[in-house]
Amino acid sequence: MGLVVEGKGLTKRFGEGEAGVLAVNSVDIAIREGELIMLMGDSGCGKTTLISLLGCILTPNEGELWIDGDQINHPDQDLSVVRREKIGFVFQLFHLLPYLTALENVMVAMDLAGEKNDQAENRAEELLTQVGLGDRLEHRPAQLSGGEKQRVSFARALANNPKIVFADEPTANLDSRQSENLMSLVRELRQEHRTTIAIVTHHEGLKKDADRIVQMKDGRIVSE
Amino acid sequence: MKSIFLKDMAYRRTRVVLTAIGITVLILLILFLGGIMNGMRIQATQYVESTGADIWISAEGSGGAFIGFSMLIEEYMAQLNVAPGLEPHSASPLVFAQARPIIRGKPSKAIVVGYQSGKLGGPAHAREGRMFAKSKFAGYSPEAEVDLEVVVDEKMGLEIGERIVIGGKELKVVGKVESLMFVLDTPLLFMNVRTAQNVLLGNYPRVNMMIAKSGKGVPPEKVAKQFEYSPLKIEVRTLQQTIDDIIDYYVVSPMRAVTFLRVMLWLAAGILVGMITYVTTLEKTQEIGVLKAIGASNMYVMQLILKQVVLISIVGVLCGLILSFIFAAVAPIFVSIHLLESIIVAVISFLVCCFSGYLAARKAVAVDPMLAFRGEI
Repeated sequence: MGLVVEGKGLTKRFGEGEAGVLAVNSVDIAIREGELIMLMGDSGCGKTTLISLLGCILTPNEGELWIDGDQINHPDQDLSVVRREKIGFVFQLFHLLPYLTALENVMVAMDLAGEKNDQAENRAEELLTQVGLGDRLEHRPAQLSGGEKQRVSFARALANNPKIVFADEPTANLDSRQSENLMSLVRELRQEHRTTIAIVTHHEGLKKDADRIVQMKDGRIVSE
Repeated sequence: MKSIFLKDMAYRRTRVVLTAIGITVLILLILFLGGIMNGMRIQATQYVESTGADIWISAEGSGGAFIGFSMLIEEYMAQLNVAPGLEPHSASPLVFAQARPIIRGKPSKAIVVGYQSGKLGGPAHAREGRMFAKSKFAGYSPEAEVDLEVVVDEKMGLEIGERIVIGGKELKVVGKVESLMFVLDTPLLFMNVRTAQNVLLGNYPRVNMMIAKSGKGVPPEKVAKQFEYSPLKIEVRTLQQTIDDIIDYYVVSPMRAVTFLRVMLWLAAGILVGMITYVTTLEKTQEIGVLKAIGASNMYVMQLILKQVVLISIVGVLCGLILSFIFAAVAPIFVSIHLLESIIVAVISFLVCCFSGYLAARKAVAVDPMLAFRGEI
């Protein structure tokens, strides 16, 4: 299986001098196609910063990054193109747009990629049906439960057939039943789409689903 | 999904509506104030143009017929009536002065126009009733009886035979003429030049201007120029110079603050849109961060904000335009809004709003997608 994401010597520093924080310190990481990887560690160990670097949201101070075989040239490349074409994101607080329905929230991702409206609508409906929300298409986020919102969030992340989905603490705001339902959805989605997924989590109970667990401490990977 | 900006606007409809109302009110005020100034310009010139005179004579150093203190004696008439360049015997004396007539027991405002019936200076015929009795300007005698008759503007609502009081003298309304209001809807009261001298100038045998017509084929400018070297102590202006004087004295100078206010209103419209867009953008930074995290380009975010600004501005400007014409029609004073001017105002206001919206949208473009990892929308 080929590498979907590969980072070498990735370093991210926030601030300057003594007040500066070295959030990610010279990290080497490779994520293979179809893999479910979990990044674990204490709060502040650099997990979210690392997936932000891998997801082309942050620019590293040092290091190199390849996504789907292409090296990311941070200063000169339009990273929004990489994010919408190759990466899907799932956020801890769901971050669905409150003025759009579930269907429209999924369509937005395809709208950004220039997908035609009717095609985007069909695919969004298909994805929402897959995540068990076929009867919630016209509901707005305020009318959905936390678990349902996170399912919409997963559907949105998958909308553009990304090479990898990064999920930041996707179960942190869900109760145990909702968390279990969500992980069962993740398993189904992996089987269905063979999607590569990287999940940042504190939740020890999720470990059983992981192909690989990356443990972080003080901005470094301490075990794999 | 082309209507994401519309859905966002519908979600924040209260703010959208308030912004559009704000722009509407500002455009309305800009156009309405301009319309008042236009109305004043029209009213300031329509009487002067109606006299048929193209040469206006005032006392030397007065600054113009309608501007400063000017008093002329009857001896000038004889010289003007034979002056080269002027139509023979076209010169006519004129009293033009503000008055405070008592109408039906209440003090009012009006302009008294005293002229010789049948000569330059005022209407030749009444629409209803008759013109005031003729009398001579020359051969002044303080003891001579004066006809206390007045011809009023038809819009004043006075009846023939009714009495009004000016300068303590009672005048009888003998006729009505077509409405010809002066600045700020001030009605004109026409009377014989001797009557005007009697009620306003303490029967003093002077007038504050004389008017005449230039001779056939002689440009008024040339006539005015030839009097520069005349031994007569007078100032001579053409119709256009007189109109310019009146507009400057009665409209431009007093309305300078209003002109400044109009510019301020434009700025206010821009600041209003800019501030609301800026505040809305700040409120939406998390959403914008999420959009950027899932792949929205800077251009997409910029367009999202600008489409909203453009739509709100168009709605606000159009409503302002429509309302300004409606308000002008029902206003208690004469308001004249020109279509071309209103289009220019609308375009400039629209551009000001869009520019300030663009400045605020730049803030949105600069939003860090990392915000998607923090806080709630």
